[in-house]
Amino acid sequence: MTRADFMTKLRRGLAGMPAASIEDIAADYDTHFVDALAAGRSEQEVADALGNPGRLARELRAEAGMKKWEEQKNPSAAAAAVFAVLGLGAIDIIVLLPILMGLVGALFGFFIAVIVGIVAGGVVFAAGPFASPPGGPATAILGGIGIMAISTSAGAVLTLLTVGLVNALVWYARLHYRLLKPAIDPQG
Amino acid sequence: MENVTEAIEIQMKKGVLALCVLALLSRADSYAYEIASRLAKDIDMGEGTIYPLMRRMQADGLVETYLVESPSGPPRKYYRLTDAGRGSFTQQKTEWAAFTRAVDDILGAAA
Repeated sequence: MTRADFMTKLRRGLAGMPAASIEDIAADYDTHFVDALAAGRSEQEVADALGNPGRLARELRAEAGMKKWEEQKNPSAAAAAVFAVLGLGAIDIIVLLPILMGLVGALFGFFIAVIVGIVAGGVVFAAGPFASPPGGPATAILGGIGIMAISTSAGAVLTLLTVGLVNALVWYARLHYRLLKPAIDPQG
Repeated sequence: MENVTEAIEIQMKKGVLALCVLALLSRADSYAYEIASRLAKDIDMGEGTIYPLMRRMQADGLVETYLVESPSGPPRKYYRLTDAGRGSFTQQKTEWAAFTRAVDDILGAAA
């Protein structure tokens, strides 16, 4: 592989990251070529020693996604981290995928239930007193507040669970991509 | 069995790579190619691995960069340890010494 090939593949693999990060990373590897050529090595030799540019790009993207999640715990960072991990394409993560999909589906279902619970509580709270419920208007108002409170706390617990799940996934991915050989051993 | 040995070896090298970088930088500021070629020669690491590692260490605040004008070509990016990096190095060095001593004792006892 020539220097130009390597750089093209690396940039292609990094597409989608912030432009400044791409420039920064590309500059690092480009400088590496300059230094290595100055030391009398061939482009081919240097590219081989650096490893597969596509694989390097995937690990760099995964790392950036996970870093973002560690800094800001919000849904978009969570999605970025999950996609970055999946982008690694490690076999064990593909095996893990069905389980993960099940968990994500279940969590999503629970979140919908929480939202429905909050809305239903609000309806009981606001409209209940006018429907002459058993026990009088106060029962409906307190009942409505109760339903909303239960839903909200369930939502909080779910959020904690989701954060835990993404953290676990990030931990798992780091553990595994560090084991992946091509990023460590030179390959053609 | 060969795969297991290989996996252990890779894990070990990965684990000490950051420590080696901290050690090299504690002696003198350096640039990535110098660090990479040194580690590739001495502990047989893939040269490409150094860049993700340097980015991570920079993001974690262990190292910082500055540019130095180069007589040939563009300015060169040098790395130096931050105070946090120096602290981390001291701590990891102590842990490493205790760990290797313990392992040596066990290996010695087994021989």
